[in-house]
Amino acid sequence: MIKGRDLFKIYGKGTVEVRALDGVSVQIDRGEFIGVMGASGSGKSTLLHLLGLLDRPTSGSLSIDGVDVGRLDERGRTLFRLQRLGYVFQDYALVPELTAEENVYLPSMVRGMTSRECSRVCGEILTLVGLRDRRHHFPGEMSGGEQQRVAIARALVNKPSIILADEPCANLDTQNSRNILELIKRLNKELGQTIVMVSHEGWHKKYFDRIIYMSDGKILTDDHQENGPLPEPA
Amino acid sequence: MLDEEKVAFFLASRLIARGNKGTLALTIMIIAMVFVNLIFLPSIISGVVVLFNQQTIDYSYGNLVIEPRSNQIYIENVDQLQQKITRIPGVVASSPRYTAGATIVHKGKSTTPLLYAINPEDEKQVLKIYTKIISGDYLSPGDTDQIVIGYQLAGNKDEKADRIPSLGGVDVGQTVDVTFSNGVTRQYRIKGIINSNSFSVDSNAYITKKELESVLGISNRARQILVRTQTTGNEEAMRTTLMTYGVQEKIWTWQEKSADFLASIVGSFDIINLIGNIVSLIIAVVVIFIVIFINTVYRRKQIGILKAIGIDRSIIIKSYIFQALFIFFCGTLAGGVLLLLVLQYLTASPLVFPGGPVAPVLDTFLVLRAIASLLAVSLIAGYVPSWLTTNEDILSAIRG
Repeated sequence: MIKGRDLFKIYGKGTVEVRALDGVSVQIDRGEFIGVMGASGSGKSTLLHLLGLLDRPTSGSLSIDGVDVGRLDERGRTLFRLQRLGYVFQDYALVPELTAEENVYLPSMVRGMTSRECSRVCGEILTLVGLRDRRHHFPGEMSGGEQQRVAIARALVNKPSIILADEPCANLDTQNSRNILELIKRLNKELGQTIVMVSHEGWHKKYFDRIIYMSDGKILTDDHQENGPLPEPA
Repeated sequence: MLDEEKVAFFLASRLIARGNKGTLALTIMIIAMVFVNLIFLPSIISGVVVLFNQQTIDYSYGNLVIEPRSNQIYIENVDQLQQKITRIPGVVASSPRYTAGATIVHKGKSTTPLLYAINPEDEKQVLKIYTKIISGDYLSPGDTDQIVIGYQLAGNKDEKADRIPSLGGVDVGQTVDVTFSNGVTRQYRIKGIINSNSFSVDSNAYITKKELESVLGISNRARQILVRTQTTGNEEAMRTTLMTYGVQEKIWTWQEKSADFLASIVGSFDIINLIGNIVSLIIAVVVIFIVIFINTVYRRKQIGILKAIGIDRSIIIKSYIFQALFIFFCGTLAGGVLLLLVLQYLTASPLVFPGGPVAPVLDTFLVLRAIASLLAVSLIAGYVPSWLTTNEDILSAIRG
């Protein structure tokens, strides 16, 4: 479970001040598939960065799975990210010199798995995302959709309780976006992981269990029932 | 291997194997050149020192030099002393000699070299000057009107080619007039000319001891006794042995006799060498630093992502240190091969110095010092840029 209370993130110096998050409180339950939506500059990515321990709030408290993550030092935060969180980036963020398989099993190596274990777990996960036969290919030899599926597999390899996805479809065409969203949805249902995904595409809405709309650093609404579905893209 | 090191090694090996081969090869070559540079000049200096040492022993002093006691001009009863010395264990031979100032004149050209008076047979047992006769013959024990001179002293017909005041190209068979310090002048026939490549030999003149004694009216004396010992390197112990056997004259080792000369040569070379080494190491630091720094800056976003997915900063730093160590290892190996080729070539075709041919001498300490210097440089140049880049916060790195 994620519990954030009165989260502020304020940038700027002196009199110029930007409130990227302006007193956000949020609670996300285990197994939920949450969409964080809003216009550019609404604070959705900032919220995701705080939940993913990539940044620290200016003030406010955040606990994940009962751990007050604000109290963790840098090494503790790194270890927490490794063990409890999986991150999927907009631009896949794979290491170009590593094959799909090596990219996926890198985080599990850090956790101390043997090469054999890494290979086995990696094989299972690549099968899950439909890329087992592409495991020896380098990112440069794969399509954007395939690279994003490798990135998702990498996020899943340590079996984290929470997956954070920062606009994972932003660089993909509609068909590939749909494939990725369906994959994430399926993983959410099959593996029961909590998924928090940032998106600004209205048609993604139908995949989420719950939607947090943000504007000017605040949560505007926190229930996808209230707002109704947005039209799908043409 | 520890887990962190295992992952760092994994990352480093993949980045090396699948990264830009051209840049890697160029960097390795530069490190190889630096390695060669760190060793080459000192090995030549060592070669020069070895050459000068050997020349000093073979052409100037032997291993030990016995000189008169304090307040005495000559060693007295030299025949008995020589017999005593020759019987001491470890002594191969000894050679008494006089040194005298003299003016030598040939066809109006006059010069004042150092004149040595020697027992030719004794001298052959101690020094190798006799092997360096380039024209004519060496002195014989009974020679009284014969002189052997160095080729520098003999000089050239063309004065411009002379390095010291000479006799203007005098040759074997010609005669010279020698005026001694007591005013006696005698005529000598040039019996041989020496070229030993040792300046202190090639600018001097040699007559027999017996002849000088007849000029000066003295006998059974000497200004020096040169001693050749069985092994080189234990001169201090041999000096003690000589003293134990009752030699009361001053005893010098060849190192002491040539100390100032060698020290000035080595000192000058050391300064050049030090500057060369510092410049080489700075080049190595800068090259590895730039390569790693550009690499890390280029991968700044990737480093941010790695940190974001839970790869600890220390693993990333170690992966870059491993890359720097790989460059160091390959550079040193390539440099070693290059150096061996150069040294082999120079051993077969030595560099010709004024003192003679110089072959480089490879010293284990020198090699270890070069390896240690490059290793330290690689570790620093690998650590600092990766530390700087990974010190950046994750979001700034990811945003580029």
